[in-house]
Amino acid sequence: MIASLLSHMKHYRWMLLLLGLATTGMAQDAKRLSINDKKVPSSAEDLKAIQSALKSALPAARKATVCLELGQGSGSGVIISADGLILTAAHVTGGVGKEITAILADGRKVKCESLGLSSETDCAMAKIIDKGTYPYVEVDHEDISKLGDWVFSLGHSGGYDKERGAGVRIGRLIKVADSTVQSDCTLIGGDSGGPLFDMNGRLIGIHSRVGANLSQNMHVPIREFQRHWDQMLKGQFLGEGPFAKKPKKGSGFLGVGSVDGPDGKLLVEKVGRESPAELVGIKAGDVILKIDGEEIKNKSAMQKLLKDKAADDKLVILLQREGKEIEVTVRLAER
Amino acid sequence: MKSKLTLMLLLAFSGLLSANETLETEFRTNGSLMHGVVDRARQSLQEFSAVIYDGRKEIGYGIVVTEDGYLVAKWSELKAAKELKIRINDQLFDKAALVSGDNQWDVCLLKVEASALKTVVFAENSNLDQGSWVIANGATSRSERRPMIGIISAPSREIPAEGGAVLGIEIIEKDQAIIAGEVPEISGAYQAGIRKQDKIVMLNDKPLKKREELVEFMKDRKVGEKIQVTYERDGKTTKVDVVLQGRADTFGREMTRNDQMSGDVSQRRSGFPRVLQHDVQGNSKTVGGPLLDLDGKCVGMNIARANRAESFAIPVEELREVSQRLVDQARAK
Repeated sequence: MIASLLSHMKHYRWMLLLLGLATTGMAQDAKRLSINDKKVPSSAEDLKAIQSALKSALPAARKATVCLELGQGSGSGVIISADGLILTAAHVTGGVGKEITAILADGRKVKCESLGLSSETDCAMAKIIDKGTYPYVEVDHEDISKLGDWVFSLGHSGGYDKERGAGVRIGRLIKVADSTVQSDCTLIGGDSGGPLFDMNGRLIGIHSRVGANLSQNMHVPIREFQRHWDQMLKGQFLGEGPFAKKPKKGSGFLGVGSVDGPDGKLLVEKVGRESPAELVGIKAGDVILKIDGEEIKNKSAMQKLLKDKAADDKLVILLQREGKEIEVTVRLAER
Repeated sequence: MKSKLTLMLLLAFSGLLSANETLETEFRTNGSLMHGVVDRARQSLQEFSAVIYDGRKEIGYGIVVTEDGYLVAKWSELKAAKELKIRINDQLFDKAALVSGDNQWDVCLLKVEASALKTVVFAENSNLDQGSWVIANGATSRSERRPMIGIISAPSREIPAEGGAVLGIEIIEKDQAIIAGEVPEISGAYQAGIRKQDKIVMLNDKPLKKREELVEFMKDRKVGEKIQVTYERDGKTTKVDVVLQGRADTFGREMTRNDQMSGDVSQRRSGFPRVLQHDVQGNSKTVGGPLLDLDGKCVGMNIARANRAESFAIPVEELREVSQRLVDQARAK
């Protein structure tokens, strides 16, 4: 059984990605904790070395680990830049351009928006919108971790709990493949999207899913993020699932009732209560001039344009109200 | 010749790959090769972590606290046991008695007829940083205890009772009176002697007629608090002290998806004044034993497997107090 780790989410994931070829050994790196070169710790001293590395890495790692709340569920994420770029799982954000609330380690809530994702391997990015300088962790871009390395995981298991914070768990990398790594750090719902660290506190993976066995804890390795980095930054939705579903074209809902005016203009007749249109201040009597730069002269032109749009898509609408032009940006809801 | 060489190279290469792909079980965090590294803790488990059976079924672990055979363990897992037996080191004690218990901590006192037992070595305190190694009893054979390792995962803290504190009685309002419906065996009310159909007439010195009065009375109460309950049965009035327990711990919970992921966890897993949280793996039958540091000293008692990723232990400070109190009370009788 493989289940996703988004707390309180309705849907299950029962799948495990097939293991590809293992990555070949990499050159020795001074940044790797030397204890990792032993196949197994041979003394209490070795255990203490692991413990002291973990203790010094933990505070910074914990500060950068966030709880992500959206809709019904909550997952985790980790901040990787001072301006608030977050790595998380695709099944946590569920789509591009979604509004998310991130809860920082100190309990502060900040607004985020999801960027792109890779729906085939469960990678996603999000960005904190509120301006500020945020605590962040270093990413293991050189990909120096190996099978058997000691690792630790953080995440807001079961949702945010201020008294507890993100729980830390220890383990080793027990399986390594191109798009999935497995550790024996036990994960549970709510940990999804949370960080897996090497013993120096560098980010090496993002929590994705678990199996029935306590040793089946799957993470997406950083190299999988690197593969799609720029596309995700640009907000692209990659792949056809299974970790996120692309919204269908035509599923977007604006909430405007319109009528063709006598002078070849499209008039807003009514605005749905609590609709996306109402939220951005569109009012009955407004004239719709342009959508996304395209001139809209009648109802059928608007309908044709909306047919190509999906929930969460953004539209820039140019309106005319009492002789003045107003531009609004609206995010479509689900029809 | 050439093709043969290629084949050999391929074999060697693929052998390396498969070795590289998966870490053999014995090397993993709780693999057998780790046992030797935590030898002092393993020795402690052998000496003072007892294994508790109901007949032949293993139902939990315990801690030997006196040379003459007093032990402490997790209470709620043992309440239903019919034939308590205890193994200490490699010695089996056929007759074990459940002496008393503390509802607030879910700790009970057990007794076997013994002398000169090795007893628990308590650590001075439970001030372990997060990330500190801890060891617990993971599995057992007739002669050997197996250590499982993990780390302190979170700050020590209170785990409030899920759903608030309750007497543990299903309330039926009938003719201006409160009648007990179901009274789960695990509840404080049942422990105090209250049964189905009893008429609850007073809580402390407050007469009780309506459900709302009970709700008002119970507001903001805590697990472990004692309430004097006056009840009527067959025309006879009795006063008993009921220790409050958590609602979810008493009446059960609706299964969540996290519960499904977690498997066999402790039913009583909330309503503790303070716990240490760690990630040593286990299930509902691996609690009650000591949580040890690398020196093999007892820093707490495992009191609940909460879910797939979280285990709770009573910190040594509180554990010492509870076990001392239970032993003193038992000796005074």
